[in-house]
Amino acid sequence: MRFSVILRYVGTVVLCLSAFMAVSAGISLVSGDTGFYPLLLSSLLTLLLGAFPMIFVSKADSITTKEGFMIVVGSWVVSCVVGMFPYLIWGGEFSLVNAWFESVSGFTTTGASILTDIEALPQGLLFWRSATNWIGGVGVVMFALLVLPSLGTNKMALSGIELSSLAKDNYRYRTQMVVKILLVIYIGLTVVSTILLKVAGMRWFDAVNHAMSVCATGGFSTKNASVGFYDSPLIEWILIVVMFISSLHFGLIYSTFARKANNIFRSEVVRVYVAIIVGAALTIGASLSFSGTYDNIFTSLRQSVFQVVSIITTTGFATADTNLWTPFAIVILIILSIICGCAGSTSGGAKVDRVLLYAKVLKARLRGQQHPNAIIRVRLDGILQDDRQVNTVTLFLTTYFILIIAGTLTSTLFGMDLLSSFSSSVAFIGNVGPGFGEVGSYDNYAAMPSLLKIQGTILMLMGRLEIFGFIQFLFIRMWR
Amino acid sequence: MKGIGKRVTVAFMSIVALLSVSGLISLFELSNLSYDTEAILSANSRDLELAKNLLRSAHDHSRAMIDVAIFDKEERKVACRNASDELVAHISSVYAHAPKAIHGSLDTLSMYVTDLAQLTENYKSYEVVVIDSLRSEVRRIDGRGWYVESYEPAYDRFVEQVKEYITLSHGELAPRATQLSKNVYRSVAPVLISLLVMIAIVLMFYYFVYIYGVKPILRINRSLSDYMLFKLPFKPKTVMVDEIKELHDNIENMINISKSNKKQENDAI
Repeated sequence: MRFSVILRYVGTVVLCLSAFMAVSAGISLVSGDTGFYPLLLSSLLTLLLGAFPMIFVSKADSITTKEGFMIVVGSWVVSCVVGMFPYLIWGGEFSLVNAWFESVSGFTTTGASILTDIEALPQGLLFWRSATNWIGGVGVVMFALLVLPSLGTNKMALSGIELSSLAKDNYRYRTQMVVKILLVIYIGLTVVSTILLKVAGMRWFDAVNHAMSVCATGGFSTKNASVGFYDSPLIEWILIVVMFISSLHFGLIYSTFARKANNIFRSEVVRVYVAIIVGAALTIGASLSFSGTYDNIFTSLRQSVFQVVSIITTTGFATADTNLWTPFAIVILIILSIICGCAGSTSGGAKVDRVLLYAKVLKARLRGQQHPNAIIRVRLDGILQDDRQVNTVTLFLTTYFILIIAGTLTSTLFGMDLLSSFSSSVAFIGNVGPGFGEVGSYDNYAAMPSLLKIQGTILMLMGRLEIFGFIQFLFIRMWR
Repeated sequence: MKGIGKRVTVAFMSIVALLSVSGLISLFELSNLSYDTEAILSANSRDLELAKNLLRSAHDHSRAMIDVAIFDKEERKVACRNASDELVAHISSVYAHAPKAIHGSLDTLSMYVTDLAQLTENYKSYEVVVIDSLRSEVRRIDGRGWYVESYEPAYDRFVEQVKEYITLSHGELAPRATQLSKNVYRSVAPVLISLLVMIAIVLMFYYFVYIYGVKPILRINRSLSDYMLFKLPFKPKTVMVDEIKELHDNIENMINISKSNKKQENDAI
């Protein structure tokens, strides 16, 4: 394994971050706030850190899978470390642990915050927060692949590791094409949603920040009351649509626009996903209406649809304090924050593809017991799933639940109540953001003990790297 | 970038640049910290000085009034007037420096000074004094009685208000001091971060110099020794770039020439 080559590629990712910090510093300079100096200094330090390996290490012709793993996981960890520089230098509510939490939460698009007063942050720092969401949305390495054509021949090796195997199924294109698809859809969606949010009444700055956050299904808002601050049905519906699109497989979105056969409308996964959203929104809406939480059925449905889409897409924007909702609604929302969006999107979590595949495997097993000699094949979106894929999904879901239980156990050890502990663990590993109880949609993670915050960041990174990527990194020396 | 010398120079210059930036940041942050500390200390001493002046003038005024009212020392009337003027001047001075949050307290203080001045003026003009609106009674001036019943309560009220002002003024300083304690962390953060980045860069520098400079030379040397001593093939296993690659190639060429010369000599024999 060539450590110098790994350093060079991680450095390239770090250079992208430096550019975004410089843009954020520019915003601070224009608005004349206190964020300019921390962001400029962070940008310079990051630039030096990222550029240094390039002095010695020339571009590698090829990289091995092991090196690729190290580059991807290393880039995530280094990005999170570098990302906390502006927060630490600026100060305020950002202690070392808080800055680390906010940075990891940003890059992993979790959107959980330790800030009690978001609006006290300077504009440049708010932009940097949203930028961490945006960069992390497609994955820090994929982002570098999108913006740096110089990575050339190694794109395939790196994108192959960054994208999950399920995500790759719907990309029936060459790697170069996959990167272009991501670029067009991600940037296009961000630009369109910015314009729509501006038209709906947001300031340009807020529109850009919310668009970056929503396309990444991150959930960082520029307001303390999140989207609830605007109390505008138009803004909410725009965000609902963008959140939904962002949680679909980008390859399928491209295919739909390109009028290909494997499009959104013919995708089995998308059909199930839509059915889950509609079913959950209607039942929660009815529950809220019958319980008298809101005055009328329309408000109940509006709140229900927004919150269901926000949670299942792992965005985590809030328009209502879901802690005040009925226990039935809370349970449904927790289930949704485990299922989450589609593979190949910016969403985190277990992914609806895996859940559907798991259900199909379960059905196949039951049928297999009824007909012992039958050869039952499992297909997902028309693609035959071999035993290896099925085993991987089963193992993933099992590990996912073990980690949730472990997280819950540790949190209860520190005195958190069961609902807060469980929902926060689910929110961390699924990169959802808000939980319930002490960490509800209108609360934050400021009061959480530092050790639990660190545990939360490990869960966030594990969730974002689809668990095995992170575990693989820990055992890289044993990899022969 | 080509050339090991150029690479090392650029890397070294980067470290020097980072060191300079870190030094400048430290200086900038420390001077900021020093400025803030100085501002808090000077505000504190200014408030104490003003309070001390107010109390001293009030005390002078009281002493002068005792002399005038109880001991009938007419010549002390001037001292009384001077003390009264000083009080007014001090109050104006406090107003100029005090933060807006404690202007309410200063208004009360100013009112009490006016009360004291009014009482004094009334006494000096041998007029009747209204001590209390509930017990308003017209009577001839009795110096001792007037001092105890009218002046002393007004004086006590004034002194209490000065003490309250000091408490409020210190309360105003406390948040600034708390902010400074947070800012100390903020001041150290840039320096610490630059230091961490510098450590990372120095470690990388060591690693790269070792991988691309030291290790290849050691391997070439060992391989050359093995060739000369044991006639093992000259094949150092290491990454070689720039001049070190040239050095390797040249040694290899030299060995090849030496081998072919030897072969020619053998053939000739």
